[in-house]
Amino acid sequence: MNEANPKDRIQQLLIRWVLVVVPTIVIGFITLRFLNFSYTNLNTGVASQLVYFGLGLVLSYSLYHFGARWLVTFILLSIVYWLFEKAISRLPGEFDVFYATARAQLFSTLFVVGWLFGFLLVRVRWSYILIFAILIIATLVSISDTIDISLEYILAHITPVVVYGLYMFFLSPILTDRIELDAKRSSKLLIRVVLFALLIVLAFVVTESLFKNDLKAVEKELAARGAKGNKDGSDKEKDNYDDRDGLMDKTDDGYRLKDTMRVNSKMSQSDKLMFCSKLDNYFPDGTPAPLYFVYHYLTKYDPVKETFTRDINVPSFDEIKIDPVGLPMYYSYTDTTIFKKSMGDKFHKVVEAQVYLSENTWKHSVLGPSNVFAIQTIPVEKDFQKTFLSAYKIYSYASDLNNAYFVYNISASPTLEPMQKQRHDELRSVQDYSKVDKVFTDYYTTYPRGGIYDSITKLAESLVPKDAKPVDKVIAVRDFFLKRNENGKRIFRYTLKAGAVDDPNIPSSKMLYNFLFKTHAGYCTYYAGASLFMLRALGVPTRFTTGFATINRSDKNKGWYWFYASQAHAWTQVYFPEYGWLDFDMTIGNEDQQSAPKPDGTPPLPPPDPWLVLNVKTNTVDVKAKKLEVSFNQLIYFNTPHTLNKTFTRTVDASLCRVLYDKRDTTFAAIQPGDSLIIVSYKDDAKKIPQPQAGVAIEQQLLGFPSPIIADEIHISPKEKDKKKKDATKKKSKLTEKKITFKEIALLASKIVGSLLLLILLLPLFYLMYRLIRIAFSKNPNDKADQVYRAALYRFHIAGFERDAETPLDYARTKIDPTLNLNFEEFMRMYLRLKYSSGSLRTGDQEIINSFSKSIGIGIRKKVGFIKSLFNYFNVFRASRFFQQPPSINNENQSL
Amino acid sequence: MSSAIKLKSLTDNIETIIRGKPQEVKYVVTALLARGHILLEDNPGAGKTVLAKTLAQSISEGAIDFQSTNGGVAFKRIQFTPDLLPMDLIGSHIFDEAKKDFVFKKGPLFTHVLLADEINRASPKVQSALLECMAENQISSGDTTFQLDKFFFTIATQNPIEMEGTYPLPAAQLDRFYMKISFGYVSEEVEFDIYTNYLAIGDSKNTVKQVLTYNDVIELQQEAENVYVHPEIIKGIVRIVQATRNHQEIALGSSTRGGITFIKCLKAWALVNQRDYVIEDDIRALAQPVLHHRLIFRNREASKTALQQLVDKEVNTLAKMGISKL
Repeated sequence: MNEANPKDRIQQLLIRWVLVVVPTIVIGFITLRFLNFSYTNLNTGVASQLVYFGLGLVLSYSLYHFGARWLVTFILLSIVYWLFEKAISRLPGEFDVFYATARAQLFSTLFVVGWLFGFLLVRVRWSYILIFAILIIATLVSISDTIDISLEYILAHITPVVVYGLYMFFLSPILTDRIELDAKRSSKLLIRVVLFALLIVLAFVVTESLFKNDLKAVEKELAARGAKGNKDGSDKEKDNYDDRDGLMDKTDDGYRLKDTMRVNSKMSQSDKLMFCSKLDNYFPDGTPAPLYFVYHYLTKYDPVKETFTRDINVPSFDEIKIDPVGLPMYYSYTDTTIFKKSMGDKFHKVVEAQVYLSENTWKHSVLGPSNVFAIQTIPVEKDFQKTFLSAYKIYSYASDLNNAYFVYNISASPTLEPMQKQRHDELRSVQDYSKVDKVFTDYYTTYPRGGIYDSITKLAESLVPKDAKPVDKVIAVRDFFLKRNENGKRIFRYTLKAGAVDDPNIPSSKMLYNFLFKTHAGYCTYYAGASLFMLRALGVPTRFTTGFATINRSDKNKGWYWFYASQAHAWTQVYFPEYGWLDFDMTIGNEDQQSAPKPDGTPPLPPPDPWLVLNVKTNTVDVKAKKLEVSFNQLIYFNTPHTLNKTFTRTVDASLCRVLYDKRDTTFAAIQPGDSLIIVSYKDDAKKIPQPQAGVAIEQQLLGFPSPIIADEIHISPKEKDKKKKDATKKKSKLTEKKITFKEIALLASKIVGSLLLLILLLPLFYLMYRLIRIAFSKNPNDKADQVYRAALYRFHIAGFERDAETPLDYARTKIDPTLNLNFEEFMRMYLRLKYSSGSLRTGDQEIINSFSKSIGIGIRKKVGFIKSLFNYFNVFRASRFFQQPPSINNENQSL
Repeated sequence: MSSAIKLKSLTDNIETIIRGKPQEVKYVVTALLARGHILLEDNPGAGKTVLAKTLAQSISEGAIDFQSTNGGVAFKRIQFTPDLLPMDLIGSHIFDEAKKDFVFKKGPLFTHVLLADEINRASPKVQSALLECMAENQISSGDTTFQLDKFFFTIATQNPIEMEGTYPLPAAQLDRFYMKISFGYVSEEVEFDIYTNYLAIGDSKNTVKQVLTYNDVIELQQEAENVYVHPEIIKGIVRIVQATRNHQEIALGSSTRGGITFIKCLKAWALVNQRDYVIEDDIRALAQPVLHHRLIFRNREASKTALQQLVDKEVNTLAKMGISKL
């Protein structure tokens, strides 16, 4: 290459470092940070990764700047890597090797990426487009893996890359030449940068003003998707269920389930706290006895999707049918039919649990141990309202045999086996399902025949004799997954990347077939799905359960469990007559990987227990004394709801009371006569609390209540007016509220990009306008000639007559005048005389300027046609060439 | 008779004989008006000699000192060969029997228009003798120095350097030539035209009219000097000259003399094109003939493109400059 002095070359390199390398490293940092956020397995510290990337970039940029050869450096790099690899394998200790290899892989990948970027930036002229594409793809992939997506999130991550792309686009023309740092060039550079900044601001302003409403709507939708708790919405969706004959709603429940599974499959954001719960279930010695938390049951085989889906029209559907999100405070709901529907009472007991949701996404179904039969919403302690959005208390008719220590797969801890054996022995008393309702067993053993299903059946039947007891069949299936080969290695293994198909949904039967016979690798839904098929094939009533695995937590807060996204789980429930549905977790542990300890999600303190909750109407308000006179006919007394046979009136002392309106703190003065209130009084030693008396009517007991009743919390129910308003906005938002999908985000993105493109497309026309305006406002003939000259050159260029290296005069003579039949040459001669001669304007010159100026448009239109000449202005590439140095063609006439 | 008409008649007159090469004819006239010399490089038979002769014949008698042939200014032709000696050019002292003294017998250099044919065939010492005359406009022999006429105009021709038996001119000597051009072959139609006309006319000697006088040419040269060169044009030339020195693929850039010559030629060229001011087109037209032979390129490819690129860039810069900014 160049043999200019090395000092100069180093100076050039330094300038380029500032202009190119530093922005690239910055964008690399942003992208890496983002990737780290999405992919935990990358997580070795952004700083070191940046160093790897930056090192590669700077090194290769400098090397190639000084004219290093691609092949030579590539071979050298390969040799270094090879030696590196060799050196690692000599490290003592297996662990060290593993660690170093992982590190080296990360290093080499990032280093090579940086290296390639450096090479591209130095040697390939339009390389930034490629780099831009790579960055945008990386960002988009990461975005698409994120669950709680918001518009700001998308913009925050795409914008830097877009800005970088535009920056490079603006910078690229000056990078081709030597960069001079004299005053003139510096000012040029400065103008470029300022222009760039202006364009970015303009783009943002235009986008903002054009799509303000769209953006807001999308934001709303995104928010609504996150926290859609209104009752109307869920009602409607319930209707949908019925319409679809109980098929699982693909975009709704499927999405939710998919969501949790996806979290599981990608291990992204696994430290996200989903909810926490206090479960009052203990062994006789007081140690907590965890129970798996159920979300949904998948029971019905869907031949279209070849997988199991949700079905609410099942015989003895034992889920409580209530949407726990969006219920009024202290609203309670009990469904005693669950006791019967649970179809078993042996070892069953009522278990109380409190669930604190950090997201309002768990709609339609109540999260809790199986057989939830009662639910009551409870307030979240003030200090925890940021973490937990809502909470409820549930009562569950749970089986002791569902204790998680019975359910866990023994691969997790072999010490569990003797304990689980007790349950198995107990269950051996179940011989068969002859006494169970035929409709019920038929439903839960429905299993498709033919093809791959027959091979699964054959496999299941080979494991255990057909007449074995149900529990033995279950054990046989479990043991099948635990089998080891002759080397003592497990045949089945746990992996989050199950085969080629990384589908977070319930795997289809085809995938399950592959899992059972070929890959032997999968995650929980594979194990649960495969066991479901096999057990049903063996005639055992089984269902697929999704929810959360409950893992015993520290003793710090006894009875408390908290659930992270990574605990989202799937397992099977098997029906045993009289014992009910029992959990069996077939998923084997991951032998290769020890999961990192999760942070302690410190649970909120349990709220004080109210002894009395009154649903009242305010009669009078005494603001000074903070006293109310209220009337009511509904109350909850020691957790038992009562409806009174007549309306009672009482005085309430609210002097020490917290007043809330719509879950937010407000003042006592906000209470108006006529308001509906919920008044809560907690159990407190300082208060005289009348104990409930069995067999005495509630009206009688009421007379013994203290007067005034000391209130601890007053919840003002939303007023009618506000409600209407809210409903109206809800309806309004409902009109625009669609299911927000990626399609829509893509639509919006394409709108933004489209407007930017439009702006770019219009730039040539804007420039024309600018030139014409300059002609109109030119002050003297010289200036006018100048403006006409510039406009003419531009318009001829756009019309398709591009000037090459020839001078304007030659251009006029050879290209324009013969084709367009204009007097451009005459004008040019006059113009050049004005420009370069010492003389001044001659008579007739002005005439030439004016007549030529008028004739330009006519000439072009005659030759090119009006529509096409207009259309030409959208040819941005051609327009951009106008501002570039025309390519120098060797003058053929001058033989050298 | 205005200068424009004079020039027009001169070029037209030459073009009646030299067909299809208006540009080259103009270059030669430009070199004449710039008071320079020109080097034609081409294969034999391209019309170099005819051009030189025609030019001389087109200018009528007017000088006193020189013998004129065919009524024009004096024209001499020297065929350079390897065994040519300097004295064959400048003349020598010969013993005069009558005067009993050595008298100087003037050589063929004492003329107005000199055609130095195949200059690169002669030995370097002959070449340098010629080049001294061209540079100094004088001849030294023994103890006497003879001034040449101020008209003195050399048209040198050389065969392409690749041909055998040549002594390539060193860069310092090439620098003395204001321009170096090459004719190249003419197109098919022009060639046909030449053949038919040549057969009809026979010898050009008798058909060339004298259109200008010696004094006319001197006046034109004067006028060329007065052509206005805009400061931006000079700046542009400075930039081109500087760029040739800094260019990666040019080993030896243009000298300052090269730049001065360029401006002189630009003025003459403008006059030939009937303008009293220089425009950007002139730079583009003259850069190759005036500058190219002064540069040494690192490779063949660069010798074809490098200068053109520099000039194109500078011309484009000038073209984009508005009047108001000048």
